[in-house]
Amino acid sequence: MMNNDRTLHPNEGSTRMIIRTTVSAGAVALFATVGPLPAQTASYLDFDGLSRELRSLASGSNAASMQALGTSHEGREVWLVTVGAPGGTPLESRPGVLVVGNLEGDHVVGSHLALETVRYLLSSDDANLDNTVYYVVPRLNPDGAEAMFAAVRHARTRNALPYDDDNDGRIDEDPPEDLNGDGLITMMRVPDPLGAYIVHPDDARLMKEADASEGQAGAYTLYWEGRDSDGDGFLNEDGAGGVDLNRNFQHVYPYWERDAGPYMVSEPESRALMDFVIAHRNIAAVIAYGHSDNLVTPPDSRGNLSDANVLDLVIAADASNTDIFATGVFPGGGGGGFGGFFFGGLPGAVPQLRGAQPGRDNDPESGRRPAESVNRDDLTYFEAASDAYKEITGIEKVGVSRDARGALFQYGYYQFGVPSFSTQGWALPEPAEPEEEAEDEEATPRQRGGAPSGGEPGFEASLLEAMDGAGIDAFVDWMPYDHPDLGSVEIGGFRPYATTNPPAADLPDLGRAHGEFTARLASMLPRVRIAQSEVMNHGGGVFTVSVAIENTGFFPTSLQHGVVSRSVQPTTVQIQVPPESILTGDAKSSTIRKLDGSGARAEYSWVIQAREGSTIEIRVRSEKGGSDTTTVTLR
Amino acid sequence: MINKTTIGLLLGLVALTAVNVHAQQRGSDPDHRLSLTWDRWLDHDEIGERMQLMQRTWPNFLTLRSLGNSHGGREMWLMTINNPATGGELDKAGMFIEANVHGNEIQGAEVILYTIWYLMENYDRIDEIKRLVDERVFYLLPSVNPDGRDYFLDNAGSGARTGHIPVDSDGDGLFDEDGPNDLNGNGVIEQIRKYVPGQGTHRISHVDPRLLERVFPGENGDWVLLGREGIDDDGDGRVNEDPVGGYDPNRNYGSDWQPNYIQGGSMNYPFQLPEARAINDFMMTRPNIAGFQSFHNSGGMILRGPGAAWQGRYPTSDIRVYDEIGENGERMLPYYDYLVIWRGLYTVHGGSIDWTNDGLGIISYSNELWNGGQYFNSPLLQEQRQNPNSPISPQRSRFFFDDFLEFGDQYVEWAPFEHPVYGQVEMGGWKKLSGRVNPRFMSMELFHRNMAFTLYHADQMPLMSIGETSVERVGGNLYRVRVDITNERLIPTITERARQNHVVRPDLITVQGNVDIVAAGWVADKFRPGPTQMIDQEELDRILVRSGHPGRTTRTIEYLVRGSGAMTVTYSAVKGGTVSASVQLR
Repeated sequence: MMNNDRTLHPNEGSTRMIIRTTVSAGAVALFATVGPLPAQTASYLDFDGLSRELRSLASGSNAASMQALGTSHEGREVWLVTVGAPGGTPLESRPGVLVVGNLEGDHVVGSHLALETVRYLLSSDDANLDNTVYYVVPRLNPDGAEAMFAAVRHARTRNALPYDDDNDGRIDEDPPEDLNGDGLITMMRVPDPLGAYIVHPDDARLMKEADASEGQAGAYTLYWEGRDSDGDGFLNEDGAGGVDLNRNFQHVYPYWERDAGPYMVSEPESRALMDFVIAHRNIAAVIAYGHSDNLVTPPDSRGNLSDANVLDLVIAADASNTDIFATGVFPGGGGGGFGGFFFGGLPGAVPQLRGAQPGRDNDPESGRRPAESVNRDDLTYFEAASDAYKEITGIEKVGVSRDARGALFQYGYYQFGVPSFSTQGWALPEPAEPEEEAEDEEATPRQRGGAPSGGEPGFEASLLEAMDGAGIDAFVDWMPYDHPDLGSVEIGGFRPYATTNPPAADLPDLGRAHGEFTARLASMLPRVRIAQSEVMNHGGGVFTVSVAIENTGFFPTSLQHGVVSRSVQPTTVQIQVPPESILTGDAKSSTIRKLDGSGARAEYSWVIQAREGSTIEIRVRSEKGGSDTTTVTLR
Repeated sequence: MINKTTIGLLLGLVALTAVNVHAQQRGSDPDHRLSLTWDRWLDHDEIGERMQLMQRTWPNFLTLRSLGNSHGGREMWLMTINNPATGGELDKAGMFIEANVHGNEIQGAEVILYTIWYLMENYDRIDEIKRLVDERVFYLLPSVNPDGRDYFLDNAGSGARTGHIPVDSDGDGLFDEDGPNDLNGNGVIEQIRKYVPGQGTHRISHVDPRLLERVFPGENGDWVLLGREGIDDDGDGRVNEDPVGGYDPNRNYGSDWQPNYIQGGSMNYPFQLPEARAINDFMMTRPNIAGFQSFHNSGGMILRGPGAAWQGRYPTSDIRVYDEIGENGERMLPYYDYLVIWRGLYTVHGGSIDWTNDGLGIISYSNELWNGGQYFNSPLLQEQRQNPNSPISPQRSRFFFDDFLEFGDQYVEWAPFEHPVYGQVEMGGWKKLSGRVNPRFMSMELFHRNMAFTLYHADQMPLMSIGETSVERVGGNLYRVRVDITNERLIPTITERARQNHVVRPDLITVQGNVDIVAAGWVADKFRPGPTQMIDQEELDRILVRSGHPGRTTRTIEYLVRGSGAMTVTYSAVKGGTVSASVQLR
C-alpha cells in the first residue's frame, strides 16, 4: 500500500488527491487487470466534498451526467450520476446497473466505493459505455453520513427525520452525550449488582452475559455514553435521527420497529430512489453497499443469507432501553377501576367474536406468501457474481454485518426481480479464522454472537484480534469516569465508524476494485439479438418468416424469481404485419418469459399472407436485455 | 347550455336568499336552509359545487380544503365539521369518513354529502345531533378516486374500479392503449354475442328471452359470447387487453402491503398513489382521528380487518370494541353482515382500513353498501325468491325489478351490429348503474342508515372526563389526592394494537402546582381500603399511560404529595381529549 496510515481521518477537511503514477506491488497482485486511475480520493468526504468531487467527474466527461434524485430532510441533495456514452441506443433502453451507497449513515465507505466506481467507469475500457448505462447514487443518506464529520462522532445509521423513538410525546429529547470530551460517543459500563454482564474472561475489553449456571453473577450494566436528559429513567433512548434507510424498503420490512420508519419507503430519500427505480425498468442488476452481505458469501443451497456478524457490546448497550415500552402499561380492562359495561354482555365476559365467525369462509392458509429465499434456479447466478467479486477484490471475509430486513438489495431481487447484491466493501485485515459452526437448521436469520462462554473466540473477539494485528485503533480502552448521576463508571468501547469503514488510505484501491466489479457485472447482463432470420416462399403470396432470438449475455433475460414475481416483463417478439395477415404459426406478439444467457436461443415463425417483395420488420424487446430489430424481404 | 359553474352560482344565490327569508315551516317539514335533492349521482364537479355550497351556507362549522390532486388533476375535496365554540379541531376525537376509492363504487360519496347536510340542517333541531357535532370533529372525503368516479359517471363506465395512473397491463411497452370501445355510441359498454346456429356454447333461456344460458356438455347452443364491446386498438391481435389503469387503489396502504404477485394491483410501494398518499399525509397530521369508515359497494357488509388471515387475530380487547359496534351496526342496517374481511369477503393485503387500524390506531370499518336482497325486502318475497319458477327467482329477479320498478331503464336489449373484426353480431346487456349501485329511488334509506351507523361509530370514540376528586391530609403537609378519570364511551383512548405498534402517543397525566409528588398509584377499588397499584415511573408529574384508558371505564389515580395550595391534574389523550381537575391541598 502506498499509504501506511492505518487510522481514519475523516476530519481533515480537505481532499487528498493521490496522483497514481505507480502501482504498488501489493496492489498489482490484487488489481492486476486495471491500469492507474487519475486523481483518486483517499480521505473520507463530507457532503460538500463529495458533491464537489462528483460534479468534477460528471462535468469532465460527456459520458456522465449528474442530477439530484431528491433532497434529504436537512436539504442535502441525493445525487445520481448517470454514466453511459451518448448516441446510439437511448440510455433508458440499455441494460443498466444501479449502484447505491451509504444507505446506512455510518457506512460512509459505500459512498466512496460508488464515487470511485464512477471514476473507474469513465476511464476504463471494460465498462462498455456504448451499450450499457450505470446509475450511481453514492450517498442515499447524506444527513446520516454527515454525522461522521461532526465535532462529536456518533456512528449513526439513520436519516434526519425528527422521530419520537421511545414514543413518549417528546422528540429527540434524550441523545447520547460525549461526557469525557474525547469527541466520540462510545459506551459506559456501570458497576451494578442488578446488571446482566461481567467482564469477558478472555479479553478485558469485552463483556459477556453472566451465566448463573457457571457460578457467575452479573456485575455491570452497559449504556451508551450520556445522561438521562429527560429524567425518565432511561439513558439516551431518543437521540437525533429517525429512519435507517436500509430498513425502509419493501421486502421483509420490519414493521413498527423504531428505526424502520412509519411505513415502507416513507422517507424523501428512499422514495426518491424508489420512484427512480420503478421508472427505469432497464435496471438489470443492483449493487447496494451496506452492512449486509451476499457477495462474499452467496446465498446457501436453500437460498438463505449467511448469519449476521454482530457486536455483543452494541447489543448490550441497546438492551439498556428495551424495557421502555413496558412502562405505563397497566393491565386489565378497568385497570383497577370500575365500569366497562358492554352493550352485549357483562364486563369480563368472553367476547363472542361475532365478526370472526365465518361468513363465506376462506381457507386461512390459502393465498400465496412472498418468497423469502432465493429461487433455486437463480442460485448459480449469485454464485457466479460472488466468484467474480472475490476474484476482483480479493475480499474473502465478511466484517461486521447485520440481517437484511427492509434492505434495498433485498427489494432488488425479491420485488424488482433482478440480480441484486450487497457487500460491506472491505475486508477485515488479517482475517482470523473462527471455528466453523455446525450447520444450523433454522431458516430464520441468525446472529453469531461475539462471546460464547468458553471455547473459540466469537466474531467480536476475532474482529478485535484482526484490528489489533493490522494496527487499526478500533477500540477506545475503558477509562474511569465520574458520572454526574451514576457515580464511578468506565467509558470506552468500539471506536465509532472503525468497525464499519476501512482506513481512508485503502479507499483508492478498494474503489477501483469495486469499479471493476461493477463493469464485470455489467458484462454479465442479458443482451438479446435476432441472431438469424429466414423467409420461405410458398407461392400464392404465402410466406413463412422465421427468426432465432439469442441472449448473448450471461444472465437470463429474467431470473426465475423475476418470472415468479412477474416483476420482469417477458421478452416480446413481434412481427410487424396486420394481425389478420397471419395464417398460422406464432402469435403476432409472442413472449418469452425467460431466455437463458450464454447464447441460448428461441425460434419463432409465422406463416403470413403478404405481397411478394414487401419488407417485414421483426422486433425483439427485452426489459433487461435491450432490443433488436431486423427486416426481411419476402421473396 | 348552462354550465355547471353557473348552476352552482344560482344554487348559491338561492341559498343566500333562503338565509334571509326565514320562511314559515310548512306542514311537518323542517325549514331546510338548503333544499337539496338526493336522487342523482354527482360527478366530481358537482360534488365540489355541492360542498362549496354547503360550506358557504354553514361557514362557522364547515371548512373545505383540497388534500391535493388526483393523478388526473382533480381536487381531493375534504370537508371538516368542527364547532370552534366547543374547542379546536385537535382537542376533539375525529371521525374520518371516505368513499369511492374504487371508481365504480360511487354511492358512498352521496352518503357523505348527505351526512354533512344532515348534521348541519339538524344541529339546531335535534339535541343528539347538536351534542355529537359539539363533541366531535368530522373529516369527510366523498371521493378518494375522483378520476375513477368521473370515468364511471361521465363515460361508458366499464372497468372503472381502478385509478388512472397508466399501467402497461399487457407488457408491450405501451400504456392503456387497448381498452373497450363504445362502438355503437350508445354510452354503454355492452356484451357481444354472435349467432352461430348449432355451434355455440349458449342458448336463449326459455324462462326469459333476455337470458343467455350455457348449454350442457354435449349439447349445442346457437350463440357464442365474444367479450366486451371493443376492437383491437393497437393492432396486436388482441382485443381490450390493456384498458385504463389496471391496479387496485385500495391495495396501496402501508400495513401488510404485498408486492403485485402476492396482491394484484398493489403497485410498487405503499402510498405510491397520489390519492392514498394525500389522505395519509393528512391523517398523520391529525392524531385525534379515532374513527374511520371507508364506504365501498356492494354486498351489504360491515367489514373490519384484518384483511389477511396471516396477520393473525386482533387483540381481544380490540375485538370486543369492534364486535359491539359491528353488531349494533347490523341492527341499524338490515341485510348487512358484520364480517372480518378475509373470512367474510376475500383476502386483502394493504387495504386502507388495515393501515388505519394498525398504523394509525383507529377503530375502522368498511361498509359494502347495498345488498341485492333489498330489491325484494320482505320476508315473504325473500321466501318466494327461493322458488325457481317464481318471476323473482334469483335468475329472473333482476329483469323483474327492472321491468316493473325501473321501467326497463337499466337494460339494453340485444341489437344487431356489424363488428369490424367479428362481422355480424349482437350487442346488449346491463347498464353500468345496475347491480352494484342501488336504484336511485332507494337512496335515501341507504344514505340515512349508513350515516346513522357512522354517527353511532363516531359517538363511541373516546371521550375523557374527570369525576369525583378528594383530598385527605395524611399528616403534616402530606396529602392523599384522588381523582376519578373516566372514558365515557366504548372505544379506548389507545387500542391494544396501537399500543403494540407504538403508533399513538401515550396518554399523559400531568400535575401542576406547588407540590412534590412522593408516590402515585392506581386505586384498586375506591370503596375498599387497601394499597394502590404503584406507578413505577421516574417522572410522576408526567405519567405515561401507554395502554391508554379503556372504554366506559373510570379509573381512580391517587397521588401522595407534599405541598400546599392548588394542585391541578390533567389527563391528556390524543384521541380522547384533554381534561383537568384542580383541588386545594388543605
